[in-house]
Amino acid sequence: MNSKRTFRTRSSRRSARHALSGVAAVAALGLALVGCGGKDSGTRDEGKSRATASTDTKVLWLGDSIAGAEAPALGAALKASGVEFKDSSSDGGGTIVDSGEKITQMISGDTWKQLAKDIKSFRPTVVAYQVTTYDWGSPARQRAAYEKAVGTVEDAGAKLVFVAPPPIKIDGFYKPHEAQMRTAPKVAAEVAGKSGGAAAFFDASQVWGTDHAAQEALRAPDGIHNCQQGAAAFARWFTGTLGKQEKFTPASVDSWAQKSWTGDKRYGNLRCAA
Amino acid sequence: MPGRHRAARPSGVGRAHIAALDGLRGFAVVAVLLFHAGYLNGGFLGVDLFFVLSGFLITGLLLGEATGRGRIPLAAFWVRRARRLLPALCCVVVVTVLATWAWGSTAQLRFALDDLPWVGAQAVNWHYIAEQVGYWNASDTRVFAHLWSIGVEWQFYLAWPLVVAVAARGRFGERIVASLAGAGALVSLALTVSLGAAVDTTRAYEGTDTRAAALLLGALVATAPVRDLARRVPRRAADLVCLALACGLAVAWAVTEGEKAPLLFEGGLFVHSLAAAVLIVLMARVPGTWAARIAGSRLPRGLGKLSYSLYLWHWPVYLLLLPRLSALGGPGGTAVAIGVSLVAAAVTTRFVEDPVRARAGWARGGRGWIAVVAPAVAGVVLWAAVPEPVTGAGTVDVDQLR
Repeated sequence: MNSKRTFRTRSSRRSARHALSGVAAVAALGLALVGCGGKDSGTRDEGKSRATASTDTKVLWLGDSIAGAEAPALGAALKASGVEFKDSSSDGGGTIVDSGEKITQMISGDTWKQLAKDIKSFRPTVVAYQVTTYDWGSPARQRAAYEKAVGTVEDAGAKLVFVAPPPIKIDGFYKPHEAQMRTAPKVAAEVAGKSGGAAAFFDASQVWGTDHAAQEALRAPDGIHNCQQGAAAFARWFTGTLGKQEKFTPASVDSWAQKSWTGDKRYGNLRCAA
Repeated sequence: MPGRHRAARPSGVGRAHIAALDGLRGFAVVAVLLFHAGYLNGGFLGVDLFFVLSGFLITGLLLGEATGRGRIPLAAFWVRRARRLLPALCCVVVVTVLATWAWGSTAQLRFALDDLPWVGAQAVNWHYIAEQVGYWNASDTRVFAHLWSIGVEWQFYLAWPLVVAVAARGRFGERIVASLAGAGALVSLALTVSLGAAVDTTRAYEGTDTRAAALLLGALVATAPVRDLARRVPRRAADLVCLALACGLAVAWAVTEGEKAPLLFEGGLFVHSLAAAVLIVLMARVPGTWAARIAGSRLPRGLGKLSYSLYLWHWPVYLLLLPRLSALGGPGGTAVAIGVSLVAAAVTTRFVEDPVRARAGWARGGRGWIAVVAPAVAGVVLWAAVPEPVTGAGTVDVDQLR
């Protein structure tokens, strides 16, 4: 090995060491920033929330990502009303109905497991299940799942509330299941009606109407989910309806409707106005 | 040509063949650009071709080192990768954050700042999996959405050389590497099938483990057993097979219905990767094929040389520019956006990528180190300095609720 080559090797090793340090520094910086958990968000002044009278009501919220887009406002409205709230809706599924198709077998299996865990850890007094866009299958299968839900929730000492889903744009994905999606809320209402008071059915068409394209439906640009205004409208209606059933007084919309929940990330994903 | 450049050529791949592989990169990046502009439904498969090419070239380089020197200098390998990839990435990221701050929507700026640390850690694909970006169809709210594939490549570059460095030792080294690559690709396929049967396919689409199939199939065809097999294929036969494979890839790019088509996760991606891998090894090992000549011609090769920067630039350019070009109509706006991306890519390649990679005067020694780190530090400073927008204010009209 000649001296020139030795020099080049040393030089390249030195620069390699330097560059390697650089790469490590870049990765470390990135990881450090990741570790910071991102920048502060939700910095809007919430103000000092007025003390709210606590109720004994604890609401466990179930459903698909449509229910998930309603959850931030619902949580704010219920908490402002002194009601404990846990959002267990699922971004991508959330159904309790095993329609016989592989995808709903998987999703419903996960939902039932999660429900058992939530009942154990959260001990809800009300389990609210918004009928999902994956509640496929025959009416018999839908009925079996809903009756199982009534029994499960009753055994846990809670009441079940079925909530009708909002009207949504039926795209190519939903088209093959449109008829089944239409029967699901009807079956849920029927099961609630025959439950002897163990379950109730809240007809959300009172807030959304029945046409997804109408202004009243307050759909996000995707025609399926809702933005902040829709979430607030739903939360006001649901809190009022549940308040009548559970005997609590809903908080004024002024106390929760414009708080930090409106900055929830999912509204960014849905291209809602920011 | 300096020795270090010769050493950087993958094992057994000649200059004409490198040109052909550059040309394939050109086709891949054009497919991705057209897909993101809404003109080629299966153009996202161009990313899969990038993965196969990366697996092939990187493994070829590593095996070349193992054969030539008897060992693989891993630190030097990673340094070369860093010099090749990081400076341009950091520049694009810094400019993109500034441009998003100036012209992006509130949501775009918020997500850009959220995603930036993950981009820096070369792990943004896992961040997007956690955020279920695919489920929400939220790519157009994320100026760094396309960088998931760069994260996958980096993670592969960190892990695979360690495997090759150990496995390639000894007499049967290349066979062992081939076996590991083949077995790994099959495991990756099984994971894709399993994880792809979900409502949200982001996990299957952007996971490093699931997309490893493409990288490992590229690696497999770079090993001696497959290389030698390919070399024995007569040119006419190779021409016919290359023609069939190229047509197959083109049809897949044209007819696949988007990134969520169920068939993709039931073996479709794997078959695409396999076809790409066979095409690549035939083009690289059989002299004078028509496919290699066409891919190695001036235009695809030129685009291929710009492909990395072009890939980095095109998505933020599309998101920030296209909404302002609606008066030009779809094709007109797209043409302008592609033109802007090309200019940005050419400038980045000429003044950042090439000088740092080739250790040009200003990018040598300590200054080379600065060239790698300075843009990254600029990114961190920017991340800290740009105020995160407060989102959601004024989105609820309380009067409508009463």
